[in-house]
Amino acid sequence: MSAFLYGLALQWKLDIRSKAMLITCYLIPLVFYVFIGGIFTSLTPESKDTMIQGMSIFGVSMGALVGFPSELMEVYSSSIKKVYKANGVSIMSGVLIHFLSSFIHLFLMSMIIFVTAPFIFDSALPSNLPAYFGTLIVFIATTLSIGCIFGLLLKDQAKLTMFSQIAFMPSIMLSGIMFPVKLLPNALIYIGKIFPASWAFEATTSDKFNLLLWLPMIAILLISFAICAFLLSKKRKD
Amino acid sequence: MNYAIQVEQLRKSYGNRTVLKGLNFNVEKGEIFALLGVNGAGKTTTFECIEGLRKYDSGKITINGKMGIQLQAASLPENMKAMEAINLFAKWNKVSVDPSMLTALGIDQLAKKQYREMSTGQKQRLHLALALVRDPEIIFLDEPTAGLDVEGRLDLHEQIRKLKAQGKTIILASHDMAEVEALCDRIGILRDGMIAFIGTPEELTEELGERYSIEIRTERGVDHLECDDIADTMLVQLEKYKQQQIRVLDIKIDRGTLEQHFIDISKGVEA
Repeated sequence: MSAFLYGLALQWKLDIRSKAMLITCYLIPLVFYVFIGGIFTSLTPESKDTMIQGMSIFGVSMGALVGFPSELMEVYSSSIKKVYKANGVSIMSGVLIHFLSSFIHLFLMSMIIFVTAPFIFDSALPSNLPAYFGTLIVFIATTLSIGCIFGLLLKDQAKLTMFSQIAFMPSIMLSGIMFPVKLLPNALIYIGKIFPASWAFEATTSDKFNLLLWLPMIAILLISFAICAFLLSKKRKD
Repeated sequence: MNYAIQVEQLRKSYGNRTVLKGLNFNVEKGEIFALLGVNGAGKTTTFECIEGLRKYDSGKITINGKMGIQLQAASLPENMKAMEAINLFAKWNKVSVDPSMLTALGIDQLAKKQYREMSTGQKQRLHLALALVRDPEIIFLDEPTAGLDVEGRLDLHEQIRKLKAQGKTIILASHDMAEVEALCDRIGILRDGMIAFIGTPEELTEELGERYSIEIRTERGVDHLECDDIADTMLVQLEKYKQQQIRVLDIKIDRGTLEQHFIDISKGVEA
């Protein structure tokens, strides 16, 4: 346990030193939040009501789908994974450490938005705070689990970028954080429902806690974990 | 016998390609053993099978002692600091770090340096320190001096000799024959997935016989000769020059090196 906690603390520090993680987990989400937040609130003042939720979902999607997989790929497609094996550390615990470290970074980034948005943009706080934080936790875990599949499955940076964007762009465009989903054609609304961002945005902007909005995210999370377990067992046999 | 490692009938294939075809060899406790072979001979596969990093198809590997494995380049995250890596390995192996080992390898001076900022020599020293963190009895070194300058190489050789003096068993893979000749008690040469030779460097030289390379520079050009007997060859050659009235300008004679013998064995050249 002590080794695991040391590994987690160390990974957290390494992520801060990593330009890629710093850019995708903090810099781009927060710069986007400041610029787009400013534009949205002056064009449509009612966007202040969903600013915290929308910008957090954008930031988490960016960090988990674009930044996290390439960090994971670097470890599991290189000889670094042999270091785990050579020291009797299961490669599963390596993934878990990366996962938890990124989880903490994305949660912190969301907290920065949560704390500053009311002051900078006069944004409204989510009406149901326990539901908001609960959904945020489930959403970060679900999105990271999808990023985990990309990081374990792909060995080529170009392919990884393509897959990351295939998941990231529709998450942002079809989830309702940029514009209301009701403006979209039905087909795109249904496609948007494949991505956890749509469910997370609906759940975090809802006044009441609705477990039904969590179920698709939990289902995606469990399926992703099962796929990751399969990919790791394949890597163990390599 | 007092073996640190025993490899019996080790077989390993990748798809249709058989890399190890029933490998047999032993490494004695306290010796420095080098595993040699041209690229693709199966050195790394053999190492990884023994280290437990790769599954093998059949055969038996017996290890008598705790292993320490020296990493290859790019095995650590670029932004990890030397002491962070040392402490992480110590935590993983549930041991405390021996400060004297760190001082001996100069790791205390690298403590806050990130991996990407280290020179090749510093990285190799760190890799060796990481292999020693768990105070192993058997140490695997995969091309430990690759990319080092002369000073770094001599420094690392000194460290390896000190480890041997402490009673450690060292098994190394190397392309540097001078290094092998200077450090190793015994060598094993891999060819086509089998051990083609095993013995001391002296035995290798004896097995192939003394071979000499003779370079004779005359007024008409340079002649190269290879032979087992210098006297006979020189007498015949000089007599020929005398009859043809060719003036000899210079003669160089080289004793066959271990490197030459290694190449001969690797290519299957008969003595």
